[in-house]
Amino acid sequence: MLTALIIDDEAPSRDELKALLGAFPDVEVLGECANAIEGLSAIHRLRPDIVFLDIQMPRISGLEMVGMIDPGALPRIVFVTAYDEHALKAFEEHAVDYLLKPVDPQRLEKTLEWLRSGACPSFRQLPGVTEMLPRIPCCGRNRIFLIPISDVEYVHTDISGVQVVGADKQGMTELTLKLLQERTPLIRCHRQYLVNPDRIHEILLQENGAAEILTHSGKKIPVSRRHLRELKDRLLIA
Amino acid sequence: MLELENINHVALIGSLMQQMCVYLAVAYMLSKTPLFAPLMQVTVRLPDKLVCYLVFSGFCVMGTYLGFQIEGAIANTRAIGAVLGGILGGPGVGLAVGLTGGLHRYHMGGFTASACAVSTTVEGLIGGLLHIYLLRRHRADRLLHPMIAMGTTLFAEITQMLIILAMARPFDQASRLVAHIALPMILSNAVGAALFMRLILDRRATLEKYSIAFSAKALRIAERSVGVLMQGFDQKNCSRMAKIIQEETGVGAVAITDCERLLGFVGIGADHHIPGTPISSQHTFQAINNNEVVYADGVDVTYRCSVSKDCKLGSSLVIPLRGEGNRVFGTIKLYEPKNKFFSSINRTLGEGIARLLSNQILAGKIEEQKRLLAQTEIKLLQAQINPHFLFNALNTLAAVIRREPEAARQIVQDLSTFFRKSLKRSGTEATLKDEIEHVDAYLRIELARFAGRLDVDIDIPEDLLNLRLPAFTLQPIVENAIKYGVSQMIEPGRIAISARRESDQLAIVVEDSAGLYKPSPESGGMGMNLVDRRIKIRHGEAYGIEVSCEPDQWTRVAIRLPAEEELVTC
Repeated sequence: MLTALIIDDEAPSRDELKALLGAFPDVEVLGECANAIEGLSAIHRLRPDIVFLDIQMPRISGLEMVGMIDPGALPRIVFVTAYDEHALKAFEEHAVDYLLKPVDPQRLEKTLEWLRSGACPSFRQLPGVTEMLPRIPCCGRNRIFLIPISDVEYVHTDISGVQVVGADKQGMTELTLKLLQERTPLIRCHRQYLVNPDRIHEILLQENGAAEILTHSGKKIPVSRRHLRELKDRLLIA
Repeated sequence: MLELENINHVALIGSLMQQMCVYLAVAYMLSKTPLFAPLMQVTVRLPDKLVCYLVFSGFCVMGTYLGFQIEGAIANTRAIGAVLGGILGGPGVGLAVGLTGGLHRYHMGGFTASACAVSTTVEGLIGGLLHIYLLRRHRADRLLHPMIAMGTTLFAEITQMLIILAMARPFDQASRLVAHIALPMILSNAVGAALFMRLILDRRATLEKYSIAFSAKALRIAERSVGVLMQGFDQKNCSRMAKIIQEETGVGAVAITDCERLLGFVGIGADHHIPGTPISSQHTFQAINNNEVVYADGVDVTYRCSVSKDCKLGSSLVIPLRGEGNRVFGTIKLYEPKNKFFSSINRTLGEGIARLLSNQILAGKIEEQKRLLAQTEIKLLQAQINPHFLFNALNTLAAVIRREPEAARQIVQDLSTFFRKSLKRSGTEATLKDEIEHVDAYLRIELARFAGRLDVDIDIPEDLLNLRLPAFTLQPIVENAIKYGVSQMIEPGRIAISARRESDQLAIVVEDSAGLYKPSPESGGMGMNLVDRRIKIRHGEAYGIEVSCEPDQWTRVAIRLPAEEELVTC
């Protein structure tokens, strides 16, 4: 049995693919999403085996989105596109499977056979997948938005998830701290905190060897003893 | 030789005046020669100064020769040359002229010989000092003032009399001489200098009048002919051009040819010089083959009409028209009838006119190339039908067929309307109605594709639907609004298209609710730049596309065009 998720911003396109997948009794469609942000959340929540991922999507393309998935939760991805010369060339080079719209049922069957065999290509080599992220996709109350990295003061985790805090707005993100640390200029300063070095106003050293960061907008972030040295090195403080 | 006692003052003044008239007559004659040209302004260059020296020394010597011998002295008009030489040529020239005149006078002898030699030199120097003085005061214009020449000469002559009194011996004789000749000489020299200066000024005014008439004619021709030949080097435009040139120059007839045929002919002999007929004149062939101006004045070089024996035209001027790389592509010919000669203005003007026409034709060619470019660009726009759009549309269709066959039929219909309109635009112009239909078909397909995420609002007043605009103006803009606007929105978006007339302008506004416009080449899109360029090439810089954006709220693209209803030939 294979579980699948469809991520595509065009409703007719999702309907069509769902209808085509209906012909395969061993494939169960867990859900469908209209954009990359909903898609990330659904992947982390539903942990599907396969994701049918449209490339052309609002704000965050399918390719960008792949790089935002927690590597531990990475499903097998099948890119779906109507027309994208550059992406197709890259897929061919890296043996990544893809489907062309309108989807040919026979081609879909082949793809499913290949997926059942358990092949898993490396998406890390695809262009655009491992580039630095210019913005962090967030969910606030009832809405989805992107915070540019330069506006982010810090990111931290708590029971509810990963919080992105800007000077005047904040939201939850599906991206993990580890991924953000790798793909953004944010610096780890605590097990649960990343800070934007450009937004640090001052660092208050404490007696126990730890410290506290005061951001430009006056927010306080803890710095653990373990990460203080690293932080100082990064900021070129002796 | 006259005896002093016999001299009547009035008679002496009369004789000196007569002498001055001869002197001025010579000066007048000289003023018609090129030798006079350097004298008509304040001379600075060395060769001019040399001419100045030679001419005025000549006048100095002449003044002495024309004088009357009076008891071993000479009543004369030598001072004019010396003083004017100094005024116009500066102290150096003045000194040299005075010295030359003085030495010449010295060798003629008499008891005032040495006094006259010294005084003439001093007179030249006085003129020269005035020259320096006025130049330093930046009043060079006053140098040519007749009254100044008169005053200076007056002063110089008085000085001369004083020098004679001081130097000539015996003093009695000198004082008697001065008493008799002082007044006549001072007066006649001063008046003579003023008249001489007047002569120079008149000559200068005549030349200026000539060049004013010349430039006025040239300017009028240029003004009237603006753009005529830019519309093409053909019979119609050449005839118009020939008419303008004939009217303005007043020559007997004007013809314009290319390298094979007569394209336009206006004036005497138009009955047998028929536009469209091949060139037959040897002069014209000579002008074309040798790339040179051929002038047949009717006297030394005869002109005979090669078409009709009865032709009244007697002289011709053929000037080649030169294009890129100085290649001859035609000629312009001016004719005068047998009873009239070419005026020198028209002869000179001819070459200027030829240059003017050549430039116009060249500019016309550039204009035509621009037009061709615009047409090529339209083809490019047509060819640019976005493959994304096509495959997405087909994908939407595949999905809709499954669920709503009737709606799918409609999409097929819209798709064929869209392609038909995209591919089968015959001309480069379209009505706003055509453009809206094209965009409407496009948007219906996008509406189906973005099912529920797109809202479209088209608001065009009925009375604007017949206005004309370049074909493919609207669709690329709307496509951009989808591609870089609404399709990038996570929440549902909206596109509004409206049009209004603002006095004599048509303003079409395409607004999306994304507000994601960034003024970079990739987000602007090739389509939008092409549309803007095409409008500007056609209608000028005042028209075209303006983009404004309120981030995350809206992007507004305004297309400005002249409101034209009738078909514009382009």
